[in-house]
Amino acid sequence: MDKLVAQYSRPPHQNEFYSEQEQRDLTESLPPISLKFNLPPVDNSRAFLRAMTDDHSNPSCPIKLAHGTTTLAFRFQGGIIVATDSRATAGNWIASQTVKKVIPVSRLSRGEDKKSNEPTPGLLGTMAGGAADCQYWLRYLSQQCTLHEIRHKRRITVAAASKILANLTYAYKGMGLSMGTMLAGMTPQEGPALYYIDSDGTRLPGNLFCVGSGQTFAYGVLDANYRYDLTEEEALELGRRSILAAMHRDAYSGGFINLYHVKEEGWVHHGFDDMNPIFWKTKLEKGEFSNVTSEL
Amino acid sequence: MSGYDRALSVFSPDGHVFQVEYATEAVKRGTCAVGVKGKDVVVLGCEKRSALKLQDTRITPSKIAVMDNHAVLAFAGLNADARILIDKARLEAQSHRLTVEDPVTIEYITKYIAGVQQRYTQSGGVRPFGISTLVVGFDPNDKTPRLYQTEPSGIYSAWKANAIGRSSKTVREFLERNHQDDMDREQTIQLTIKSLLEVVQTGAKNIEVAIMSPGQAIEMLPDDQIEAYVKSIETEKQEEAAKKKTGRGGTTTAAILTRGGGEGSESRE
Amino acid sequence: MEVLLGITGKDFVILAASKAAMRGPTILKAEDDKTKQLNKHSLMAFSGEAGDTVQFAEYIQANIQLYTMRNDTELGPNAVASFVRGEMARSLRSRNPYTVNLLLGGVDPITQKPHLYWIDYLASLAPVPYAAHGYAQYYCLSTLDKHHHPDISLEEGMKLLEMCTDELKRRLPIDYKGVLVKVVTKDGVKEVEFDNNRIVKSA
Repeated sequence: MDKLVAQYSRPPHQNEFYSEQEQRDLTESLPPISLKFNLPPVDNSRAFLRAMTDDHSNPSCPIKLAHGTTTLAFRFQGGIIVATDSRATAGNWIASQTVKKVIPVSRLSRGEDKKSNEPTPGLLGTMAGGAADCQYWLRYLSQQCTLHEIRHKRRITVAAASKILANLTYAYKGMGLSMGTMLAGMTPQEGPALYYIDSDGTRLPGNLFCVGSGQTFAYGVLDANYRYDLTEEEALELGRRSILAAMHRDAYSGGFINLYHVKEEGWVHHGFDDMNPIFWKTKLEKGEFSNVTSEL
Repeated sequence: MSGYDRALSVFSPDGHVFQVEYATEAVKRGTCAVGVKGKDVVVLGCEKRSALKLQDTRITPSKIAVMDNHAVLAFAGLNADARILIDKARLEAQSHRLTVEDPVTIEYITKYIAGVQQRYTQSGGVRPFGISTLVVGFDPNDKTPRLYQTEPSGIYSAWKANAIGRSSKTVREFLERNHQDDMDREQTIQLTIKSLLEVVQTGAKNIEVAIMSPGQAIEMLPDDQIEAYVKSIETEKQEEAAKKKTGRGGTTTAAILTRGGGEGSESRE
Repeated sequence: MEVLLGITGKDFVILAASKAAMRGPTILKAEDDKTKQLNKHSLMAFSGEAGDTVQFAEYIQANIQLYTMRNDTELGPNAVASFVRGEMARSLRSRNPYTVNLLLGGVDPITQKPHLYWIDYLASLAPVPYAAHGYAQYYCLSTLDKHHHPDISLEEGMKLLEMCTDELKRRLPIDYKGVLVKVVTKDGVKEVEFDNNRIVKSA
């Protein structure tokens, strides 16, 4: 009704020129930092989303989001280790065992067309929570980082990149986003930097984070053996072993161990390895996991 | 002018946007501002308009404005226009901190200022900013001095040393003759004041100087120090002139070349 | 269970904030800084809803800096507190209000008197000699009521703070990972050493 009135009560000459907003749109070269989405036409989008998707409170909910993960990242003297599992679950159903939960951020460093093992410059993001949310917004972040790189003629700092993501998640706070992300990278200005960002809008710099349904299991192993002065070998092994611990105990984590090392020149991939042989190797050679019997 | 200077967003047939060119005229009428880069310092010098007898100079706004702790701007042209532009720049500097945590780089804020100026050359119902600016400072965690200029048209450019405003051509030519790379703090301040004295006839009381160093806030040079610099420059010049008279036009030109040569006794305060 | 404490004295304000950043059952970080310096003489400590806290604090910080640059004047603690309360009240009546509790400490650059303000997420503002937010209120206010005097020295203030944190260690069921302590004086804000490792015996 208001719209209708407004339509007819507008002064007749107003259409002759561009409005101030239209002029700005014409001449403004930078797009606004946050994108505009249509929300479902309900009063409380948060409650609606919960009713539709939360299988905890309602096992017969119509939409089952891909959830459940273990991801970890920690800083040490040689850079940053990033490790994840690869299982995606939707309710009780394992939707995939081969998910890439480490996402390179920034176009110039996606490294898809690289074959050799040399380091690729750029940031790494990890994915926990809603798979779609993480993939979409990390890609959006990637776009922003690339634009930043072109505009400012230097690579974006991890602080700035994480802030862009945190501002974004904060803007959508309470509208049903679900993500827990770590951003890892090394820039000349800040050295090795690690940030935790989640869909509450929290953003924390830190040395060590585990995120996802298996985080507690990973923390247990990681905290006990973590030192800043680990060697590269030790650090990679610790990352691998911590993820394995979570994959073993958490029903929603499993599949392959995805391992990365971020160092000064860029990040290096250290394999996407099936957990099973690693598990049995760990058990049989080191005698760990003694609750699992190997005999019939 | 056959109407092409009425609406801003209309070209004249030969490709001019007259309103923008008029704005550059307004800049040329403004008092002079100089920016000089040294090795690890950058200095801004400004000509101050002479104060009237009852004017309170202590609280009259300066031509040098802080945009953020590490970025400072001096302008030439319409004072009131500058206020608007500076305010926009300050807002952007804080907003940049909020969105990406890092403070703005000098190039970024220059580009932003030039962007605003450009927008006012392409929209209906507005008039371009009648100011040029010199933007100086240091990027966060960086020791390279930065000096940029923006113009009413929205052009921006980087400089080792430059002048804008009244008689800027004279000062720029002076700077071209005397600027060296790797000047220390003293030399840079001296060159700034010397170049300003080319066009400021009334000496120290009509000059203000701001100094930026890496990782530090703006430092305004106190009046008595400016006075001292001016004094020493003047005596130096007088000696120079005296030497010239006795040495009968010796072509071996020493330290500082001044406009037209031997007019060291020019009336100055 | 975040802890915020504030104590004023003769010529200073002490602000202490717990160092744990918690989410669900995990402590994500044990060295978190829940304070922001707003200008040379004022410091704000904050707790509350994740995301809101930092977002609100940075918004306030940027606006105070902007005001200082625009008007070439430092705001005193009183002005800062009024501004913060105003912003909080505005947000309270918006679509998504900030859920943040604050302590604001400052020393007036002119009179050099210390000020402490207690502000909650409902935009109440109260000038107080000592203050706390969260469960810390229930444990510490009685202690402060008994032992605080307006003219105590910094040393006595730190002693008082220690009494409070000792009690929290004794009775609070969750480890808040110690407190980060900052002091505002006429010379500005500085972080001070605080022994968080002392083991307190329960009665």
